[in-house]
Amino acid sequence: MAAIKVKDLSYYYPDNKKAAVERIDLEIPEGQFVLVVGGSGSGKSTLIRAIAGLIPEFYGGAYGGNVYLDDKEIRQFERRELVQKVGMVFQDPESQLVMTNVEQEIAFGLENLGLSNDLMIRRVIEFTSALNLSDSLPSFIPELSGGQKQKVALASVLAMQPDILLLDEPTSQLDPIAGEEILTMIRRLNEENGITVVLIEQRLERCFHLADRILVMDKGKIVYDHHAPEAIAHWAIKNNYPFIPPLAKLFASIGYPEIPVTVKQGRCILKSNKIPDQITNPRLVALVPKPEEVEISEQECLVDMQHLWFSYPNGEEILKDINLRINPGDFIVLMGENGSGKTTLMKNINGLLKPGRGQLKALNKDMKKSSVEEIASVVAYLSQDPNDYLFLPTVQEELAFTLNNLGLVDNGISQATLTRLKLNSQAEKNPRDLSTGERQRVALASVLVSSPKLLMLDEPTRGLDYSLKDELGKILLQLQADGTAILVITHDVEFAAEYADKIILMAQGTIIARGSKYAMLSNSTFYSPQISKLFNNIVDGPVTLKQGQDVLRKIMALNKKQALLV
Amino acid sequence: MLTYREKDNLIHKLHPFTTVAFVGIIFLLSLVFSHPVYLLGLLLAVGAVIIAAGHFEEWKVYLKFSIVMILIIMIINAIFVHVGETVLYSGPHIPVIGKISISLEALAFGAGMGIRLLVIISSFCLFTYAVHPDRVLKLFSQWGNKSVLVMTLSTRLFPLMIKDYFRIIEVQRCRGVKFNTGRWWERAKNILPVISVLLVSSLERSLQLAESMHARGYGSGIRTCYTRDLWRPRDYLVLIAVLLSLMTGIWAAIQGRSSYDYYPRLPAINLADVEIASFIVFMLMVPAILNWGWKKWPLLKSKI
Repeated sequence: MAAIKVKDLSYYYPDNKKAAVERIDLEIPEGQFVLVVGGSGSGKSTLIRAIAGLIPEFYGGAYGGNVYLDDKEIRQFERRELVQKVGMVFQDPESQLVMTNVEQEIAFGLENLGLSNDLMIRRVIEFTSALNLSDSLPSFIPELSGGQKQKVALASVLAMQPDILLLDEPTSQLDPIAGEEILTMIRRLNEENGITVVLIEQRLERCFHLADRILVMDKGKIVYDHHAPEAIAHWAIKNNYPFIPPLAKLFASIGYPEIPVTVKQGRCILKSNKIPDQITNPRLVALVPKPEEVEISEQECLVDMQHLWFSYPNGEEILKDINLRINPGDFIVLMGENGSGKTTLMKNINGLLKPGRGQLKALNKDMKKSSVEEIASVVAYLSQDPNDYLFLPTVQEELAFTLNNLGLVDNGISQATLTRLKLNSQAEKNPRDLSTGERQRVALASVLVSSPKLLMLDEPTRGLDYSLKDELGKILLQLQADGTAILVITHDVEFAAEYADKIILMAQGTIIARGSKYAMLSNSTFYSPQISKLFNNIVDGPVTLKQGQDVLRKIMALNKKQALLV
Repeated sequence: MLTYREKDNLIHKLHPFTTVAFVGIIFLLSLVFSHPVYLLGLLLAVGAVIIAAGHFEEWKVYLKFSIVMILIIMIINAIFVHVGETVLYSGPHIPVIGKISISLEALAFGAGMGIRLLVIISSFCLFTYAVHPDRVLKLFSQWGNKSVLVMTLSTRLFPLMIKDYFRIIEVQRCRGVKFNTGRWWERAKNILPVISVLLVSSLERSLQLAESMHARGYGSGIRTCYTRDLWRPRDYLVLIAVLLSLMTGIWAAIQGRSSYDYYPRLPAINLADVEIASFIVFMLMVPAILNWGWKKWPLLKSKI
């Protein structure tokens, strides 16, 4: 018996002429772990909302077709019965938690079901200990970290004991470690309790191997549905579809017969080949650029930071003895745990925070004496949430707003910025009506319109899918080529590996390591992309997809030659 | 962020109903009585319980503030009320007020009302620091579910909005919006984008919140109320004691003992009133006495 059966489902959001999903047929057997991938606007969220019964009940709109849960049509369920059958965890932990403390939050759903107090206590205790939340039971929710909040959201849904768990990008707002913890928990629930899981995720490198089945969606339709990741990888390469993790992409893109989904499998495949001795074989080593020493040039630099210290008024030291120079055309990525001082460093550079001891010059201005408004036109800053920028009725006005504030004249710069960010067709639209990726580009445009010399971005890849990340990366490379210096804070190792030049690693307020990305990413266990992990101690150096492809091609060619010789 | 901090003493380990009942009864009695002996007794009782709960430091702040208020009440009352017979000071004629004449009765009346105010403020102090706001809300949610949910949601969302507000200010400053310079109307105008962003974002968030509540079955039928608060012997002891004091108070009021005629001349204090007030105070001090025993004898702690 299929736990979920979708038959000929089509749906239009209210006042929308374009179908969000169109003629979907799908059967998911009980206990399956299904991963749904696709770009923004592909209909993934709509599909799982239809399975949760939120569409059409909560959203309204035009609905056609049927959704069955255990062979019962979803609209025939009493709501109480339905919410005990399917549970749903949403993207943003902030906007799904209702109560002030953890215990009450988990009990909230149970109270809605009208359960007896004894049963509620039992469930609350059981699920908090299962999700390792027992110590946080009395905690005030606004004081928890993002990862813990999402765990609370998960626990509060699980406490209602649903047979089916739906998750809409549950880790997109979290740092990688917290995200991984959530995904591992979901996998455990699926394996140990047989809960059917339908998961939408963007960080495929973390969950591709967890799923029993992968659905690929595009333009409201399921375009590919397969249980084997290899098949998906081949299909995606053939159709030039971006939604596969780097490792699978690497092997599939050069036509390798086997496709690994984990680094472990990839290394097994590599080792089954005869690998020429990497040290004595000059041809392989020559493939990757030699890690260059980061030399800080003496030329006019944009940011010159010497022995910089920063403390908050309560005396807590956030930055300790930081030395850093940023030159025109630099592409630097700042990495490190939450709370290591990355954002504080950025806010010191653009004058949002006043430096403490030491020297900080940005474009030859002493930042101890300058304010953010004074250098806003040359040092641009894009914060995590693009929504914080957008309030005017059209995209065009957002750009004009910045120019106006900074006292700059629009000599065609806003048009040029819109063209560069491919926003021309959106110029007259309300930015709040645009998709995630477009909103971010509008926010970026609103700070780029002043033609800054330094662009700083705080976690720009959060919540973006592979193709949007790729787009963003390309825009940044273009800007870099024009001489703009770029400083990015990110947890996204894959993004850093693909686009950055230099990497700075921060911990507890100090810079603990810095260097070119080749030096920094290829010899690290955790701060390294899948490609580096794959080649670690087998071939030194590859970091980007392109380099990985070159090395793998050589290995294939050599092995073919040897096979022919034998 | 939250003023409440759990402490290890008996007052903090009472059932929220008991604490709320205690505070409520003190509040009620302070309104019923205008007799200074009873009011002083109530102040003594609530003060003892506040100290027992470990909130002397916080109470001091309340006290400082209220004493200033009381002095003001006394002065204004003494200047404007001229019905007292025991004149302490007689001064010159001042327009509007008339002849300055300060009587003992007017001062005493001011002091009496000041003590009443002090009792009320102290009972609020106890309510703020000795019981978790969530538990109180939960207690009332059995009767008024929706309004309690609205209150909870606001407590939950308020810190979030404050955080949003400061973040948006930063973001807009990076776009050249000036919040710290210029005339006040320019600054007021500049705050508009921040408010707009805040409103639009809050609206979006509230829709998502509603969706999440819907998905967790909110509004699907009659709700039950989750509570893990336990009833212990201490709650019964305290409740019986405060009920006795309430009943005594009501009885005294029916007997006409609650009021005290300050004017025209202060009557003598009746011994019977002192005895009744002592009984009420003793009963109201039961939580403080139990707390003292609780700390002194572990055996008592284990029994109650």
